Amino acid sequence: MIKHGAHSGLMKRLLNPSSPSLYMAAVLMLIPVFAAAHNISGANARFVEGLDGPAVIPYMYLGAKHMVTGYDHLLYLVGVVFFLRRLKDVILYVSLFTLGHSMTLMGGVLLQWNVNAYLIDTIIGLSVAYKAFENINGFQRIFGFQLNARVAVLIFGLFHGLGLATKLQDLSLSADSLVINMLSFNVGVEIGQALALVCIVAILGLWRRRNSFQKQAFAANTVLMSLGFMLAAYQFSAYLWA
Amino acid sequence: MNSKTSDTVDLPASKGRVLLAALLAFILAAVVLSVFILPAEFNRDPLGVGEALGITGLSQPAAESAETVRKEEGAFLRDSVSFQLLPFEFVEYKYELSKGAGMLYRWSVAKSRSGEASAVSFDFHGESHEVEDYEESYSEGEGDHEGGTFIAPFEGIHGWFWANHGAEAVTVTLSTTGYYTESLEFRDGFVKKQALK
Repeated sequence: MIKHGAHSGLMKRLLNPSSPSLYMAAVLMLIPVFAAAHNISGANARFVEGLDGPAVIPYMYLGAKHMVTGYDHLLYLVGVVFFLRRLKDVILYVSLFTLGHSMTLMGGVLLQWNVNAYLIDTIIGLSVAYKAFENINGFQRIFGFQLNARVAVLIFGLFHGLGLATKLQDLSLSADSLVINMLSFNVGVEIGQALALVCIVAILGLWRRRNSFQKQAFAANTVLMSLGFMLAAYQFSAYLWA
Repeated sequence: MNSKTSDTVDLPASKGRVLLAALLAFILAAVVLSVFILPAEFNRDPLGVGEALGITGLSQPAAESAETVRKEEGAFLRDSVSFQLLPFEFVEYKYELSKGAGMLYRWSVAKSRSGEASAVSFDFHGESHEVEDYEESYSEGEGDHEGGTFIAPFEGIHGWFWANHGAEAVTVTLSTTGYYTESLEFRDGFVKKQALK
Protein backbone atom coordinates (compact mmCIF):
# COMPACT_ATOMS: atom_id res chain seq x y z
CA MET A 1 0.00 0.00 0.00
CA ILE A 2 1.36 3.35 -1.04
CA LYS A 3 1.81 5.81 1.79
CA HIS A 4 0.71 9.33 1.08
CA GLY A 5 3.71 11.59 1.44
CA ALA A 6 3.56 15.34 1.36
CA HIS A 7 5.52 15.10 -1.87
CA SER A 8 3.20 12.71 -3.65
CA GLY A 9 3.67 13.36 -7.33
CA LEU A 10 1.13 14.06 -10.03
CA MET A 11 1.32 10.49 -11.30
CA LYS A 12 0.49 9.12 -7.86
CA ARG A 13 -2.39 11.53 -7.58
CA LEU A 14 -3.65 10.47 -10.96
CA LEU A 15 -3.37 6.81 -10.12
CA ASN A 16 -4.91 7.25 -6.70
CA PRO A 17 -8.45 6.03 -7.22
CA SER A 18 -9.80 8.01 -4.29
CA SER A 19 -8.62 11.21 -5.93
CA PRO A 20 -11.09 13.04 -8.14
CA SER A 21 -8.32 13.55 -10.70
CA LEU A 22 -8.63 9.92 -11.75
CA TYR A 23 -12.25 10.47 -12.67
CA MET A 24 -11.45 13.80 -14.25
CA ALA A 25 -8.77 12.15 -16.35
CA ALA A 26 -11.24 9.44 -17.35
CA VAL A 27 -13.81 12.03 -18.39
CA LEU A 28 -11.23 14.07 -20.30
CA MET A 29 -10.09 10.96 -22.10
CA LEU A 30 -13.64 10.41 -23.28
CA ILE A 31 -13.97 13.74 -25.03
CA PRO A 32 -12.06 12.78 -28.18
CA VAL A 33 -13.88 9.47 -28.08
CA PHE A 34 -17.10 11.10 -29.13
CA ALA A 35 -15.37 13.61 -31.35
CA ALA A 36 -14.00 11.08 -33.81
CA ALA A 37 -15.71 8.15 -35.39
CA HIS A 38 -13.61 5.10 -34.95
CA ASN A 39 -12.67 4.31 -38.51
CA ILE A 40 -9.41 4.13 -40.34
CA SER A 41 -8.81 7.77 -40.99
CA GLY A 42 -8.78 9.41 -44.39
CA ALA A 43 -5.06 9.94 -44.91
CA ASN A 44 -4.19 6.42 -43.72
CA ALA A 45 -6.87 4.95 -45.95
CA ARG A 46 -5.65 6.83 -49.02
CA PHE A 47 -2.09 5.73 -48.30
CA VAL A 48 -2.79 2.00 -48.14
CA GLU A 49 -5.22 2.17 -51.04
CA GLY A 50 -2.47 3.70 -53.11
CA LEU A 51 -0.21 0.74 -52.40
CA ASP A 52 -0.01 -2.14 -54.79
CA GLY A 53 0.76 -5.67 -53.68
CA PRO A 54 1.78 -6.84 -50.24
CA ALA A 55 2.33 -4.14 -47.61
CA VAL A 56 3.13 -5.97 -44.41
CA ILE A 57 4.36 -3.14 -42.23
CA PRO A 58 1.69 -0.53 -43.18
CA TYR A 59 -1.15 -2.97 -42.53
CA MET A 60 0.46 -4.16 -39.32
CA TYR A 61 0.77 -0.57 -38.19
CA LEU A 62 -2.88 0.14 -39.05
CA GLY A 63 -4.00 -2.94 -37.12
CA ALA A 64 -2.00 -1.92 -34.04
CA LYS A 65 -3.19 1.69 -34.31
CA HIS A 66 -6.78 0.57 -34.65
CA MET A 67 -6.52 -1.47 -31.47
CA VAL A 68 -4.58 1.08 -29.37
CA THR A 69 -6.92 3.92 -30.34
CA GLY A 70 -10.02 1.73 -30.38
CA TYR A 71 -11.82 2.71 -27.20
CA ASP A 72 -14.53 0.11 -27.75
CA HIS A 73 -12.05 -2.77 -27.80
CA LEU A 74 -10.04 -1.21 -24.96
CA LEU A 75 -13.06 -0.78 -22.68
CA TYR A 76 -14.02 -4.39 -23.30
CA LEU A 77 -10.50 -5.52 -22.42
CA VAL A 78 -10.62 -3.46 -19.21
CA GLY A 79 -13.83 -5.29 -18.31
CA VAL A 80 -12.36 -8.69 -19.16
CA VAL A 81 -9.19 -8.37 -17.08
CA PHE A 82 -10.71 -6.26 -14.32
CA PHE A 83 -10.82 -9.02 -11.70
CA LEU A 84 -8.22 -11.36 -13.20
CA ARG A 85 -5.42 -11.51 -10.68
CA ARG A 86 -3.34 -14.32 -12.10
CA LEU A 87 -1.37 -13.83 -15.28
CA LYS A 88 -2.47 -17.32 -16.32
CA ASP A 89 -6.10 -16.20 -16.36
CA VAL A 90 -5.28 -13.00 -18.22
CA ILE A 91 -3.56 -15.06 -20.92
CA LEU A 92 -6.43 -17.56 -21.07
CA TYR A 93 -9.15 -14.93 -21.46
CA VAL A 94 -7.20 -12.79 -23.88
CA SER A 95 -6.38 -15.87 -25.96
CA LEU A 96 -10.08 -16.75 -26.17
CA PHE A 97 -10.85 -13.17 -27.20
CA THR A 98 -8.05 -13.27 -29.78
CA LEU A 99 -9.25 -16.60 -31.13
CA GLY A 100 -12.76 -15.20 -31.51
CA HIS A 101 -11.86 -11.96 -33.23
CA SER A 102 -9.21 -13.49 -35.51
CA MET A 103 -11.72 -16.04 -36.81
CA THR A 104 -14.31 -13.47 -37.82
CA LEU A 105 -11.76 -10.90 -38.97
CA MET A 106 -10.31 -13.32 -41.50
CA GLY A 107 -13.58 -15.08 -42.25
CA GLY A 108 -15.40 -11.79 -42.74
CA VAL A 109 -12.81 -10.41 -45.14
CA LEU A 110 -12.21 -13.61 -47.11
CA LEU A 111 -15.88 -14.54 -47.47
CA GLN A 112 -16.78 -10.87 -48.05
CA TRP A 113 -19.48 -10.79 -45.41
CA ASN A 114 -21.45 -7.64 -45.82
CA VAL A 115 -22.40 -6.69 -42.29
CA ASN A 116 -23.42 -3.23 -41.21
CA ALA A 117 -20.51 -1.65 -39.30
CA TYR A 118 -22.82 0.44 -37.11
CA LEU A 119 -24.85 -2.57 -36.00
CA ILE A 120 -21.70 -4.54 -35.23
CA ASP A 121 -20.34 -1.60 -33.26
CA THR A 122 -23.63 -1.43 -31.37
CA ILE A 123 -23.13 -5.05 -30.31
CA ILE A 124 -19.52 -4.27 -29.38
CA GLY A 125 -20.81 -1.46 -27.14
CA LEU A 126 -23.26 -3.87 -25.56
CA SER A 127 -20.41 -6.35 -25.01
CA VAL A 128 -18.77 -3.74 -22.77
CA ALA A 129 -21.98 -3.29 -20.78
CA TYR A 130 -22.43 -7.09 -20.62
CA LYS A 131 -18.94 -7.65 -19.25
CA ALA A 132 -19.32 -4.91 -16.62
CA PHE A 133 -22.68 -6.33 -15.56
CA GLU A 134 -21.10 -9.77 -15.35
CA ASN A 135 -18.27 -8.30 -13.26
CA ILE A 136 -20.70 -7.10 -10.59
CA ASN A 137 -22.33 -10.55 -10.70
CA GLY A 138 -25.46 -9.06 -12.14
CA PHE A 139 -26.51 -12.16 -14.06
CA GLN A 140 -26.29 -14.40 -11.00
CA ARG A 141 -27.85 -11.92 -8.61
CA ILE A 142 -30.76 -10.94 -10.81
CA PHE A 143 -31.34 -13.82 -13.21
CA GLY A 144 -29.79 -16.61 -11.16
CA PHE A 145 -27.96 -17.76 -14.28
CA GLN A 146 -24.76 -16.73 -15.92
CA LEU A 147 -23.24 -17.84 -19.17
CA ASN A 148 -19.73 -19.16 -18.59
CA ALA A 149 -17.47 -16.12 -18.68
CA ARG A 150 -14.96 -17.88 -20.94
CA VAL A 151 -17.65 -18.78 -23.46
CA ALA A 152 -18.94 -15.20 -23.35
CA VAL A 153 -15.51 -13.73 -24.07
CA LEU A 154 -15.12 -16.07 -27.06
CA ILE A 155 -18.55 -15.15 -28.43
CA PHE A 156 -18.00 -11.43 -28.02
CA GLY A 157 -14.56 -11.91 -29.56
CA LEU A 158 -16.38 -13.08 -32.69
CA PHE A 159 -18.33 -9.82 -32.80
CA HIS A 160 -15.26 -7.68 -32.19
CA GLY A 161 -13.61 -9.50 -35.09
CA LEU A 162 -16.55 -8.70 -37.35
CA GLY A 163 -16.11 -5.07 -36.38
CA LEU A 164 -12.43 -5.27 -37.36
CA ALA A 165 -13.41 -6.91 -40.64
CA THR A 166 -15.79 -4.08 -41.55
CA LYS A 167 -13.01 -1.52 -40.95
CA LEU A 168 -10.60 -3.46 -43.13
CA GLN A 169 -13.26 -3.96 -45.82
CA ASP A 170 -13.78 -0.19 -45.94
CA LEU A 171 -10.37 -0.02 -47.57
CA SER A 172 -10.49 -1.21 -51.11
CA LEU A 173 -7.96 -4.00 -50.72
CA SER A 174 -6.28 -5.20 -53.86
CA ALA A 175 -7.21 -8.82 -54.42
CA ASP A 176 -3.76 -10.14 -55.33
CA SER A 177 -2.24 -9.64 -51.90
CA LEU A 178 -5.42 -9.71 -49.86
CA VAL A 179 -4.41 -12.58 -47.61
CA ILE A 180 -0.95 -11.30 -46.70
CA ASN A 181 -2.27 -7.79 -46.01
CA MET A 182 -5.15 -9.10 -43.94
CA LEU A 183 -2.80 -11.30 -41.91
CA SER A 184 -0.51 -8.32 -41.38
CA PHE A 185 -3.48 -6.32 -40.13
CA ASN A 186 -4.44 -9.15 -37.79
CA VAL A 187 -0.90 -9.44 -36.41
CA GLY A 188 -0.89 -5.68 -35.90
CA VAL A 189 -4.18 -5.95 -33.99
CA GLU A 190 -2.60 -8.49 -31.63
CA ILE A 191 0.50 -6.34 -31.13
CA GLY A 192 -1.67 -3.33 -30.34
CA GLN A 193 -3.78 -5.43 -28.00
CA ALA A 194 -0.68 -6.66 -26.16
CA LEU A 195 0.63 -3.11 -25.78
CA ALA A 196 -2.71 -1.90 -24.46
CA LEU A 197 -3.05 -4.86 -22.11
CA VAL A 198 0.34 -4.24 -20.52
CA CYS A 199 -0.84 -0.77 -19.53
CA ILE A 200 -4.31 -1.88 -18.45
CA VAL A 201 -3.05 -4.81 -16.37
CA ALA A 202 -0.32 -2.69 -14.76
CA ILE A 203 -2.74 0.07 -13.71
CA LEU A 204 -5.35 -2.42 -12.49
CA GLY A 205 -2.59 -4.20 -10.54
CA LEU A 206 -1.62 -0.99 -8.76
CA TRP A 207 -5.24 -0.22 -8.03
CA ARG A 208 -6.03 -3.73 -6.81
CA ARG A 209 -3.35 -3.49 -4.11
CA ARG A 210 -5.22 -0.70 -2.41
CA ASN A 211 -7.73 -1.43 0.33
CA SER A 212 -10.35 0.73 -1.30
CA PHE A 213 -10.31 -1.38 -4.48
CA GLN A 214 -13.22 -3.61 -3.46
CA LYS A 215 -15.50 -0.67 -2.88
CA GLN A 216 -14.41 1.24 -5.96
CA ALA A 217 -14.49 -1.82 -8.18
CA PHE A 218 -18.27 -1.90 -7.99
CA ALA A 219 -18.58 1.77 -8.90
CA ALA A 220 -16.00 1.45 -11.66
CA ASN A 221 -17.90 -1.41 -13.28
CA THR A 222 -21.13 0.57 -13.02
CA VAL A 223 -19.38 3.39 -14.92
CA LEU A 224 -18.02 0.87 -17.42
CA MET A 225 -21.52 -0.50 -17.94
CA SER A 226 -22.82 2.99 -18.58
CA LEU A 227 -20.02 3.66 -21.08
CA GLY A 228 -20.98 0.45 -22.85
CA PHE A 229 -24.59 1.61 -23.09
CA MET A 230 -23.42 4.99 -24.42
CA LEU A 231 -21.26 3.37 -27.09
CA ALA A 232 -24.11 1.12 -28.12
CA ALA A 233 -26.59 4.01 -28.23
CA TYR A 234 -24.12 6.15 -30.17
CA GLN A 235 -23.51 3.48 -32.79
CA PHE A 236 -27.18 2.60 -33.06
CA SER A 237 -28.04 6.28 -33.58
CA ALA A 238 -25.42 6.37 -36.31
CA TYR A 239 -27.06 3.30 -37.85
CA LEU A 240 -30.41 5.09 -37.84
CA TRP A 241 -29.35 8.57 -38.92
CA ALA A 242 -25.77 8.83 -40.11
CA MET B 1 -14.70 -26.31 -18.78
CA ASN B 2 -15.23 -26.58 -15.04
CA SER B 3 -18.47 -25.99 -13.19
CA LYS B 4 -17.30 -22.60 -12.00
CA THR B 5 -19.00 -19.97 -14.15
CA SER B 6 -16.69 -17.16 -13.21
CA ASP B 7 -13.00 -16.76 -12.55
CA THR B 8 -13.65 -13.40 -10.96
CA VAL B 9 -13.83 -12.48 -7.31
CA ASP B 10 -17.22 -12.42 -5.71
CA LEU B 11 -18.25 -8.86 -5.00
CA PRO B 12 -20.31 -8.56 -1.86
CA ALA B 13 -23.25 -6.89 -3.53
CA SER B 14 -26.92 -7.50 -2.90
CA LYS B 15 -29.50 -7.95 -5.64
CA GLY B 16 -30.91 -4.52 -4.91
CA ARG B 17 -27.52 -2.88 -5.22
CA VAL B 18 -26.86 -4.60 -8.53
CA LEU B 19 -30.26 -3.53 -9.84
CA LEU B 20 -29.62 0.03 -8.73
CA ALA B 21 -26.20 0.04 -10.40
CA ALA B 22 -27.64 -1.25 -13.68
CA LEU B 23 -30.42 1.33 -13.53
CA LEU B 24 -27.96 4.14 -12.79
CA ALA B 25 -25.68 3.04 -15.62
CA PHE B 26 -28.61 2.99 -17.99
CA ILE B 27 -29.97 6.38 -16.91
CA LEU B 28 -26.54 8.01 -17.12
CA ALA B 29 -26.11 6.64 -20.63
CA ALA B 30 -29.59 7.85 -21.64
CA VAL B 31 -28.89 11.35 -20.28
CA VAL B 32 -25.51 11.64 -22.03
CA LEU B 33 -27.13 10.34 -25.22
CA SER B 34 -29.98 12.81 -25.28
CA VAL B 35 -28.11 15.83 -23.89
CA PHE B 36 -24.79 15.54 -25.74
CA ILE B 37 -24.50 12.77 -28.30
CA LEU B 38 -27.75 13.20 -30.21
CA PRO B 39 -27.60 17.02 -30.54
CA ALA B 40 -23.87 17.20 -31.27
CA GLU B 41 -23.43 14.16 -33.47
CA PHE B 42 -26.79 13.62 -35.12
CA ASN B 43 -28.41 17.06 -35.02
CA ARG B 44 -31.31 15.68 -33.01
CA ASP B 45 -32.37 17.46 -29.87
CA PRO B 46 -35.13 15.57 -28.06
CA LEU B 47 -34.92 17.67 -24.88
CA GLY B 48 -33.93 21.00 -26.40
CA VAL B 49 -30.86 21.05 -24.15
CA GLY B 50 -28.45 20.82 -27.07
CA GLU B 51 -29.82 24.09 -28.41
CA ALA B 52 -29.30 25.76 -25.03
CA LEU B 53 -25.75 24.42 -24.82
CA GLY B 54 -25.05 25.52 -28.37
CA ILE B 55 -23.86 22.10 -29.48
CA THR B 56 -26.72 21.28 -31.83
CA GLY B 57 -25.48 20.75 -35.34
CA LEU B 58 -21.83 20.60 -34.25
CA SER B 59 -21.03 17.91 -36.76
CA GLN B 60 -23.11 19.07 -39.68
CA PRO B 61 -21.16 19.69 -42.86
CA ALA B 62 -19.90 23.27 -42.88
CA ALA B 63 -21.85 24.15 -46.03
CA GLU B 64 -25.13 23.23 -44.39
CA SER B 65 -24.51 24.93 -41.07
CA ALA B 66 -23.35 28.11 -42.80
CA GLU B 67 -26.70 28.16 -44.64
CA THR B 68 -25.06 28.30 -48.02
CA VAL B 69 -27.56 25.71 -49.14
CA ARG B 70 -31.25 26.44 -49.20
CA LYS B 71 -33.53 23.87 -50.68
CA GLU B 72 -36.44 24.93 -52.87
CA GLU B 73 -39.52 22.97 -53.88
CA GLY B 74 -40.65 25.31 -56.63
CA ALA B 75 -39.60 25.33 -60.25
CA PHE B 76 -36.34 26.85 -61.40
CA LEU B 77 -37.35 29.81 -63.56
CA ARG B 78 -35.77 32.18 -66.03
CA ASP B 79 -37.14 35.45 -67.17
CA SER B 80 -35.97 38.02 -69.68
CA VAL B 81 -37.66 41.32 -70.44
CA SER B 82 -36.85 44.49 -72.36
CA PHE B 83 -38.25 47.97 -71.89
CA GLN B 84 -37.95 50.88 -74.23
CA LEU B 85 -37.84 54.13 -72.32
CA LEU B 86 -38.30 57.47 -74.07
CA PRO B 87 -36.74 60.50 -72.39
CA PHE B 88 -38.35 61.07 -68.96
CA GLU B 89 -40.11 57.71 -69.02
CA PHE B 90 -39.76 55.23 -66.18
CA VAL B 91 -40.74 51.67 -65.40
CA GLU B 92 -40.69 49.31 -62.44
CA TYR B 93 -40.31 45.56 -62.70
CA LYS B 94 -40.39 43.28 -59.66
CA TYR B 95 -40.50 39.65 -58.64
CA GLU B 96 -42.40 37.91 -55.91
CA LEU B 97 -39.79 36.22 -53.67
CA SER B 98 -40.17 34.58 -50.30
CA LYS B 99 -37.68 35.27 -47.55
CA GLY B 100 -34.32 33.68 -48.27
CA ALA B 101 -35.14 32.81 -51.87
CA GLY B 102 -32.36 33.54 -54.33
CA MET B 103 -32.07 35.09 -57.75
CA LEU B 104 -29.23 35.81 -60.20
CA TYR B 105 -29.68 38.98 -62.26
CA ARG B 106 -28.15 41.20 -64.83
CA TRP B 107 -29.55 44.21 -66.61
CA SER B 108 -27.94 46.46 -69.18
CA VAL B 109 -28.77 49.33 -71.46
CA ALA B 110 -28.41 48.55 -75.17
CA LYS B 111 -25.83 50.52 -77.09
CA SER B 112 -27.20 53.41 -79.09
CA ARG B 113 -26.30 54.36 -82.67
CA SER B 114 -23.25 56.23 -81.42
CA GLY B 115 -21.89 52.97 -80.01
CA GLU B 116 -22.24 54.02 -76.38
CA ALA B 117 -24.78 52.94 -73.82
CA SER B 118 -26.31 55.88 -72.07
CA ALA B 119 -26.82 55.66 -68.33
CA VAL B 120 -30.18 55.36 -66.62
CA SER B 121 -31.19 56.04 -63.03
CA PHE B 122 -31.97 52.84 -61.18
CA ASP B 123 -33.14 51.70 -57.80
CA PHE B 124 -33.07 48.03 -56.90
CA HIS B 125 -35.38 47.69 -53.93
CA GLY B 126 -37.97 45.56 -52.17
CA GLU B 127 -41.40 46.06 -50.66
CA SER B 128 -42.38 43.88 -47.75
CA HIS B 129 -45.55 41.81 -47.50
CA GLU B 130 -44.95 41.29 -43.82
CA VAL B 131 -44.61 44.91 -42.71
CA GLU B 132 -46.92 47.42 -44.31
CA ASP B 133 -45.29 50.16 -46.40
CA TYR B 134 -41.84 48.85 -45.62
CA GLU B 135 -39.36 49.45 -48.43
CA GLU B 136 -35.69 48.83 -48.62
CA SER B 137 -33.20 49.90 -51.25
CA TYR B 138 -30.49 47.38 -52.12
CA SER B 139 -28.62 49.30 -54.80
CA GLU B 140 -29.28 52.62 -56.44
CA GLY B 141 -27.53 55.12 -58.69
CA GLU B 142 -26.79 55.87 -62.31
CA GLY B 143 -25.40 53.29 -64.68
CA ASP B 144 -25.72 51.29 -67.84
CA HIS B 145 -25.58 47.82 -66.29
CA GLU B 146 -25.51 45.84 -63.08
CA GLY B 147 -25.48 42.16 -62.21
CA GLY B 148 -25.26 40.02 -59.11
CA THR B 149 -26.76 37.54 -56.72
CA PHE B 150 -29.75 38.45 -54.64
CA ILE B 151 -31.14 36.73 -51.54
CA ALA B 152 -34.48 38.18 -50.48
CA PRO B 153 -34.16 39.56 -46.94
CA PHE B 154 -37.93 39.39 -46.43
CA GLU B 155 -41.01 38.10 -48.15
CA GLY B 156 -42.27 40.60 -50.70
CA ILE B 157 -41.72 41.99 -54.15
CA HIS B 158 -38.16 42.80 -55.15
CA GLY B 159 -36.96 44.49 -58.31
CA TRP B 160 -35.90 47.57 -60.23
CA PHE B 161 -37.01 51.05 -60.95
CA TRP B 162 -35.40 52.49 -64.08
CA ALA B 163 -35.81 56.05 -65.30
CA ASN B 164 -34.42 57.59 -68.46
CA HIS B 165 -33.12 61.07 -67.69
CA GLY B 166 -31.21 61.34 -70.99
CA ALA B 167 -32.19 62.99 -74.26
CA GLU B 168 -32.41 59.77 -76.28
CA ALA B 169 -34.62 56.68 -76.12
CA VAL B 170 -32.94 53.68 -74.39
CA THR B 171 -33.64 49.99 -74.14
CA VAL B 172 -33.09 48.26 -70.81
CA THR B 173 -32.85 44.46 -70.91
CA LEU B 174 -33.11 42.40 -67.74
CA SER B 175 -32.30 38.69 -67.43
CA THR B 176 -32.87 36.77 -64.24
CA THR B 177 -33.11 33.25 -62.99
CA GLY B 178 -34.29 32.18 -59.58
CA TYR B 179 -37.00 30.83 -57.34
CA TYR B 180 -39.61 33.52 -57.82
CA THR B 181 -43.26 32.91 -58.54
CA GLU B 182 -44.59 36.01 -60.20
CA SER B 183 -43.46 39.17 -61.95
CA LEU B 184 -45.05 42.60 -61.73
CA GLU B 185 -44.62 45.43 -64.19
CA PHE B 186 -45.56 48.97 -63.14
CA ARG B 187 -45.87 51.37 -66.04
CA ASP B 188 -47.98 54.41 -66.82
CA GLY B 189 -50.04 53.88 -63.66
CA PHE B 190 -50.91 50.28 -64.54
CA VAL B 191 -49.73 47.05 -62.95
CA LYS B 192 -49.22 44.04 -65.16
CA LYS B 193 -48.97 40.83 -63.14
CA GLN B 194 -47.67 37.69 -64.70
CA ALA B 195 -47.46 34.29 -63.09
CA LEU B 196 -44.16 32.69 -64.06
CA LYS B 197 -43.99 29.04 -64.92
